Amino acid sequence: MLLSDTLITAYRGVTANVSRALLTMLGIIIGVGSVVLMSAIGASMQGVILGQISSLGAKSMVIFPGQMEGGPNSVGAGHDSLTFDDVEALRKLRTIENVAPVIFVTGTSSYGNSESSPQVFGVTEDFFLNQTISATEGRLLDASDVEGGKAVAVLAPDAKEKLFGSVDPLGKRLKIGSLHYTVVGVSKALGSQFFQNADDRIYVPFTVARTVSGQKFVNYITMLATENFDIAFDDVKSLLRQRHSIENPEDDPKDDDFIVRSSAQANDILGSVSLGLTLFITTIAAISLLVGGIGIMNIMLVSVTERTREIGLRKAIGARPKDILFQFLIESVLLTVIGGMIGMAFGIGIAFLAAVGISGLLSTYHFAVSMPSILASLLMAAITGLVFGISPARRASRLHPIDALRYE
Amino acid sequence: MMRKSSPSIKAKGNDSPLIETRKLNKSYVNDDVVTPVLHDVDLMIERGEFVAIMGPSGSGKSTLMHILGFLDTHSSGSYLFQGEAAGAMDDDALARIRATRVSFVFQAFNLLPRTTVLENVTLPLLYHPTIPVSERRERALRAIELVGLTDRKDYLTSQLSGGQKQRVAIARALVTEPDVIFADEPTGNLDSASGIAVMDALQTLHERGHTIILVTHERTTAEHAERIIHIKDGRIDSDTKGFKRVVANAVRSLK
Repeated sequence: MLLSDTLITAYRGVTANVSRALLTMLGIIIGVGSVVLMSAIGASMQGVILGQISSLGAKSMVIFPGQMEGGPNSVGAGHDSLTFDDVEALRKLRTIENVAPVIFVTGTSSYGNSESSPQVFGVTEDFFLNQTISATEGRLLDASDVEGGKAVAVLAPDAKEKLFGSVDPLGKRLKIGSLHYTVVGVSKALGSQFFQNADDRIYVPFTVARTVSGQKFVNYITMLATENFDIAFDDVKSLLRQRHSIENPEDDPKDDDFIVRSSAQANDILGSVSLGLTLFITTIAAISLLVGGIGIMNIMLVSVTERTREIGLRKAIGARPKDILFQFLIESVLLTVIGGMIGMAFGIGIAFLAAVGISGLLSTYHFAVSMPSILASLLMAAITGLVFGISPARRASRLHPIDALRYE
Repeated sequence: MMRKSSPSIKAKGNDSPLIETRKLNKSYVNDDVVTPVLHDVDLMIERGEFVAIMGPSGSGKSTLMHILGFLDTHSSGSYLFQGEAAGAMDDDALARIRATRVSFVFQAFNLLPRTTVLENVTLPLLYHPTIPVSERRERALRAIELVGLTDRKDYLTSQLSGGQKQRVAIARALVTEPDVIFADEPTGNLDSASGIAVMDALQTLHERGHTIILVTHERTTAEHAERIIHIKDGRIDSDTKGFKRVVANAVRSLK
């Protein structure tokens, strides 16, 4: 029998009872569908996190005040462990450069009738280097702005949009709290950082922020490692522990009153997250394909029994055992592959709808699919069809023609 | 019409009888219980014959036909088909013989459900090793025409009457131009008018030179054949030729 004839015969076997075929495929549909969906969400989230890491800069490090235990919410505002003297001391370390302290300024921002509450960052010129921020209009803050304590501001794109709309902000005077600032530039879009919108920000000179806020401490410090992250890490930690009189021979971050983070760590975290996600997806796939495969085998056994006389007839008119074997094997593989494709369509469709929904909340979330996962799950579905189809197909191929023809 | 088979087999087939059995025995074994069905059957059938195998149910006539038609295997003795020993054939060789040299018409029609007349008649060609795909349709249409169902070729088999179904089965049996067509109680599920139409179709095939071996327990059906073999308790009881002998034999069997 020609392969094309076997394929057509198997296809007709599958389509002879569409509703049963669909029910049989359900396990495979759900299995492949969930794998495709989960991997698509994973790919989208990876995009979000990768975006954050690249916006942080490849060699960038960040020191937050506070302790690990409290979680991310206890980080930043409210903790006063990082002082200006700490900043000066850090600047003397050779393993790091561009030490850039940040102070948050509170208060509503306004221009004309527009009011908004963006985050206002008091920064030095190094901050922009560390975070690879460039200007799309005008200029960024420079050393003379910081040293001279000039009342100038750089707007991130969302803050500009909210306050100025379509008006050209350059040279306009913006009010933050009780002080007026002249807009000198607009920075490029960053997306989100640590799940916060990094584009709804206004940057003002660090010296101005320090004066306005009256703060004796900084909210966080960014810097770059000059060469090696590990050495830079150790230097920063030992310096701060020494300055804060912290005994921490165990290197337990819970004992520190500061937290050091780097984009390399974020990369590691991303790596372990995606490994975890991959294992999770693989487990789902394995379980659902196993369940789906058992369903397929069950129905194929029923089908072989139901069609015993047909098998007998095919043998009586000259079908070889392997013709019958292939017919039922291909039928089983068709069931799983068609089921896999339906599942893939569902998975991609739901992932797309989810992306449309989530991107409203998280602007850097984009619809993405993981082609390797899709191909792997389709391949696994086909293999499931082969593995679970072999036993029913062998049973069919071994039927004795006369017994099969007499079967009631 | 040209038969497509390998030249060596054909050459051998030309000087050997179509079917020749010597001391053919068949017994079924079930849980160590041996049930003998056929005893020392010696039989020779030549090309072009129309043979009816008759006998009461349980006589072994169907088993004999299944062995002759390569659907079943014998236990001992020998069965030569055109000089080839059936006992020496493996599964693939048996399948090839079923695909090319023999075919069946069953009592229960055994047509595929949810498929058309044309598809059912084309089915054996899917398993034929040498008939090319391009000839399938033409051959199937010719076979359908021969049984007079050209106007029904696109009907689903479920839309046909019993007699029409059996004529579809006959078309399916002759589409590969086999050496012999076996018919197992072909009129058993039919009313008398349909039965006559089916027997007429077989008669036509015989007149066109086909070898036909018919199994039946009905005297009137067997009368269509030119040779009648009676099987009783697994042995050949009588082997008669000609219509008169048929009648005489039938009368004797009624006693």
